[in-house]
Amino acid sequence: MYYKQILICAGTGCISSGALDIQSVLASELARHGLQDKVRIIMSGCHGFCEKGPIVIVYPDDVFYCEVRPEDVPELVEEYLVKGNLVERLLYKDPVTQETVISHDKIMFYHKQKRQALRNCGVIDPENIDEYIIRGGYLGLRKALQMAPADVVSEVKAAGLRGRGGAGFPTGTKWQFAAGSPGDKKYIVCNADEGDPGAFMDRSILEGDPHAVLEGMLIAGRAIGADEGYIYVRSEYPLAVRRLRTAIAQAEEYGFVGGNILASGFSFKLKIKEGAGAFVCGEETALLASIEGRRGVPRHRPPFPAVKGLWDKPTCINNVETLANVPLILQLGAAWFASVGTAGSKGTKVFAVTGKVNNTGLVEVPMGITIREIVFTIGGGIRGGKKFKAVQIGGPSGGCIPEQHLDLPVDFDSLTAAGAMMGSGGLVVVDEDTCMVDLARYFLNFTKSESCGQCVPCRLGITQMYDILEDITAGKAKPEDLDLLRELALGIKQGSMCGLGQTAPNPVLTTLRYFRDEYEAHVRDGRCPALVCKALVQYRINVEKCIGCRACVKACAVGAITGELKVPHVIDTALCTKCGACMDACPKRVRAVECVSAGRTAQSEVEEGSACAS
Amino acid sequence: MDKFSDPCCKACTHSRQTPCAQFVECCLSGPLCHNSVECRAAREGIVAKLAHSPAFRERQDA
Repeated sequence: MYYKQILICAGTGCISSGALDIQSVLASELARHGLQDKVRIIMSGCHGFCEKGPIVIVYPDDVFYCEVRPEDVPELVEEYLVKGNLVERLLYKDPVTQETVISHDKIMFYHKQKRQALRNCGVIDPENIDEYIIRGGYLGLRKALQMAPADVVSEVKAAGLRGRGGAGFPTGTKWQFAAGSPGDKKYIVCNADEGDPGAFMDRSILEGDPHAVLEGMLIAGRAIGADEGYIYVRSEYPLAVRRLRTAIAQAEEYGFVGGNILASGFSFKLKIKEGAGAFVCGEETALLASIEGRRGVPRHRPPFPAVKGLWDKPTCINNVETLANVPLILQLGAAWFASVGTAGSKGTKVFAVTGKVNNTGLVEVPMGITIREIVFTIGGGIRGGKKFKAVQIGGPSGGCIPEQHLDLPVDFDSLTAAGAMMGSGGLVVVDEDTCMVDLARYFLNFTKSESCGQCVPCRLGITQMYDILEDITAGKAKPEDLDLLRELALGIKQGSMCGLGQTAPNPVLTTLRYFRDEYEAHVRDGRCPALVCKALVQYRINVEKCIGCRACVKACAVGAITGELKVPHVIDTALCTKCGACMDACPKRVRAVECVSAGRTAQSEVEEGSACAS
Repeated sequence: MDKFSDPCCKACTHSRQTPCAQFVECCLSGPLCHNSVECRAAREGIVAKLAHSPAFRERQDA
């Protein structure tokens, strides 16, 4: 029997930071101390606190070590496992109180979270089905098999679960449509084609708790009368694919997948289809086409997939996070699930928090929590003491929520009313150094590139919008272009065939709505207030501050800076490429290089990294 | 019995071909079809080996 169990986060992020090396060194050190049979190493799924990875937790003590490096492991074994002394320097230190925190549930990042869909991520070995079972796994399936299929649908409807993939359609209603569609062959499809830049919610669930998704699919299959399921997962997620394959093989071995499951008469088989990475394949009809081996492009609806889906058979498509919630609803009941959240949005939502926030990572919060709590309590506030500007929520199809809406409750309806959307759960925090016009241009460039090109509003309209944004950021736009931009955006939303085009203008519309002054500054004044748009900024050297150290002269790759030693230098603006290398090179105590945009001046801040230099 | 899919003794008939309806409950608190201290201990041994903390078996938020 083990006296200690050590969980090493083996999510993709921590693996990238050396988790596998930590595992290897730990195994060697345990053997060196003769502890290999007394201490168990568990490679778990993502703990969420990616900012502080690689994460190592020692049980049963629940000691949370963060930013662990392979070279720290010998000390960890010697001091903690052998001598029983905490390794203080590897413990989490609260950035506000500076107090050392031992247990992970005392860390503010986890404090306001409610981990339901992520219940097993970072807790179990995702490649061990027994651990999933001990944590209550497959009890939901067992219960579903004892119920009439219609009652399973009713339970999910009563729970108020809405799809976590983007639109928030009620899951039970979707199941009801599929169950009611005539046909002797039906399919369940898990949409794991997570394509939003910066989003990794689904990947983390698949990597950390694949059986939860399989169990959700089995319950869905039971509910609608399907006997076959496909998991459509991006091939760029090799770890998720590997763990899914392992999970399916284990579920087959245990009799949870296959024929006559748990002697119920219900049979279900599962297959994995790896997608090639096209964003549009997250759209359900494009996804189905891709599974069928056709080009992944959307088609008109109706007929909806619930009526005519995979190979023209009734098909129910649910997102990864949606399916991971389903076993809990069956096991613990609809009332339990509905006890969390708001009137119209029940349960929790997983977000990938990224951008200019101190604590980036994966968080699961109850619906109704405010954006302020996510950014400032869980996220730990803005990096470098900068000022919060907005959150871009919902991925490239979402919108930007400004500071005045920091207390907006995060739920499907509130976000839609504010012009954004829940989306799949991408949440990018931006600070004062972000140009909102440039941000809108960035997201539109993504959707422009990912448009399948089938319908005119999306194919040509988004390109036209992008061209206008290019003009604005280049200082070439006319005042009337802002109205044209909005008119185009509304037309594309109305006229596009699928969700990609219908939502692509959202970043532009919300930034126009909440940050119109920034657009006007670009157009009217030829000024970029955030000092981001290269065409609208200039670098210059303040001769009164310059000490003539030649650091900037050496840093300039195009020879645009001249000046003798100890004589103030000069930038030739005709040669300057505005790369910002001079600003980075200028000593912090001097800060002679300035980035300006029609009057506003930002002095060089080498360590903080100003907008111009970034 | 190293894992739940291993039969605890000849009385256990669960397999892919001959599934037992109560298999999941049996893993957690079995055996349910026969009385055996050894068979119960075998299941509890798996749980004790894998559950790394007292909270491990507690269903979160249940």
